[in-house]
Amino acid sequence: MRDLQLSLNQTQRVRLEAALHELQTVAPAAAVTVADTIPVNDEDNILKGHGTSDQDGEVVATLCGVVERVNKLVYVRTLRARYKPEVGDIIVGRVIEIAPKRWRLEINFSQDAVLMLSSMNLPDGIQRRRTAVDELNMRTIFEENDVICAEVRGFQHDGSLHLQARSQKYGKLERGQLLVVPAYLVKRRKQHFHHLEQYDVDLILGCNGFIWVGEHVVVGENANMMENKLNLSAEVENFTPLETRKHICRLANAVRVLSALGFTLTVELIIETAEASVSSNIEINNMLGAEFYVQTAEREVKRRADLLRKKSGAR
Amino acid sequence: MVGLSEGEKHFIRGGIAQDLRTDGRRRLQFRAISVETGVIPQANGSARVRLGATEVIATVKAELGKPSILHPDKGKVSIFVDCSPTAAPMFEGRGSEEFSAELCVALQRCLLGGKSGAGAAIDLSSLIVVDGKVCWDLYIDGLVVSSDGNLLDALAAAIKVALSDTGIPKVNVSLSATTDEEPEVNVSDEEFLQFDTSSVPVIVTLTKVGKHYIVDATSEEESQMSSAVSVSVNRHGQIRGLTKRGGAGLDPSVIFDMISVAKHVSRQFISVLDSETLAAEAAE
Repeated sequence: MRDLQLSLNQTQRVRLEAALHELQTVAPAAAVTVADTIPVNDEDNILKGHGTSDQDGEVVATLCGVVERVNKLVYVRTLRARYKPEVGDIIVGRVIEIAPKRWRLEINFSQDAVLMLSSMNLPDGIQRRRTAVDELNMRTIFEENDVICAEVRGFQHDGSLHLQARSQKYGKLERGQLLVVPAYLVKRRKQHFHHLEQYDVDLILGCNGFIWVGEHVVVGENANMMENKLNLSAEVENFTPLETRKHICRLANAVRVLSALGFTLTVELIIETAEASVSSNIEINNMLGAEFYVQTAEREVKRRADLLRKKSGAR
Repeated sequence: MVGLSEGEKHFIRGGIAQDLRTDGRRRLQFRAISVETGVIPQANGSARVRLGATEVIATVKAELGKPSILHPDKGKVSIFVDCSPTAAPMFEGRGSEEFSAELCVALQRCLLGGKSGAGAAIDLSSLIVVDGKVCWDLYIDGLVVSSDGNLLDALAAAIKVALSDTGIPKVNVSLSATTDEEPEVNVSDEEFLQFDTSSVPVIVTLTKVGKHYIVDATSEEESQMSSAVSVSVNRHGQIRGLTKRGGAGLDPSVIFDMISVAKHVSRQFISVLDSETLAAEAAE
């Protein structure tokens, strides 16, 4: 639960506290703090994972978080940690530097990620060997501060994190806004690219907590993007239709509300929250007001109670 | 501050042109404001104001001092602003000196009036204890805790709330027979004087982006600004100060338009701030 930067009146505070209290009773977690003892069966050969330590034959926690057990592995999952990359993660990052043959990206990790020129598709889509001319033209592909989505390739022998962008769906992101949320709110799933057809909006949930909400771009349109770059400034006012922009702002505010309340971000929950604001006749900017926060928390309580009832009914 | 890509910049500018900013606000809408009073018990008055993700703390401390020779019948007020390194990495070390000084000068211009002392937001005559000998010195300190644009408006609002929270001890003076000696002052521990803050202004900053101007710009929108005009307006609609930032010039007719818009917008902002202040003082 994060410190809400809101002024709640007395009624709203009572409702919010009741909702959060009910959320905790529905799904109590085995939370530990530093030096807490983690109960384990001594007969098993327990594998002590991240966040645990052996102390006089007992397993104690070295981090504050939630205990997780996978077969014989016991580890502590922290809630406020930085993003930890895994191979295959889809991430969104921002270019901070162009070095010879590579771009450096900020991805909310302890070090910068590296995207090699040879690890991404050229804008014209032709598969060929990169030449010295391509190295000189790297700034025309991605310049500083560009937002890029890519895939984690792995750690190299020198310890640096390498990315790749070998598909048409990766690459530069334009016509939208980037939101930064804690990385633990985004769960790893099979699908992180979402084209919301009813809104004409692309939603990319990066595993590192960078979330892109932008206008839908047809795959392959990047080839025409270079030609249209000159006309970009002139058409800035009509670049995005107002209706699409409303959807983008509403979805972005839904992400902001859910992340401020500490709820896990899934595309279904984001759409549901955005639709709830429409049906409640809440203005887009009032989604960040106190009343909608309380409504969102109460709706989450109802949703999880329904889920629990279905599980009980199934048994 | 992290930079923005060209696509994001175009999205922000297009949103302002279409009157729908990235968080859904219109051009003349403020973010949600939250007020706390009495956050620092050691100070005579203190307030914490959150404007969206911007957070500032203002304190008022009162000391007995000697009046200035130029104005023996008026007290003295000083304003200082500090940007905490936790607000942004660029404020580390001496990085915030220039920015703090800029904020400080703008606030002084809006609150302390001219060199003659006329136009000050605070009635400086009420700070005098003994003419020419003893007066109250007010030290107003602003601290920027979190920075997400529109610091000047947040600081001015925090100072206004802090002044309304300020209690100055009552002073009993016993004049000695010899007029040359320093008079003995007895500071009361129980009786306090409150300020009349009806004339303390708020600052409304209008940031020009493209062909339009917006109020309460976030840091991303501020990065797209060509210029910004900060207008200090009090409850009675009087202009107490005007400051312009940014490198681009402005047409005089645009400035007049901005001033009238600032007057209009400040009415709602002052009423919201007053209601939040009353709620905070009731909750204290």
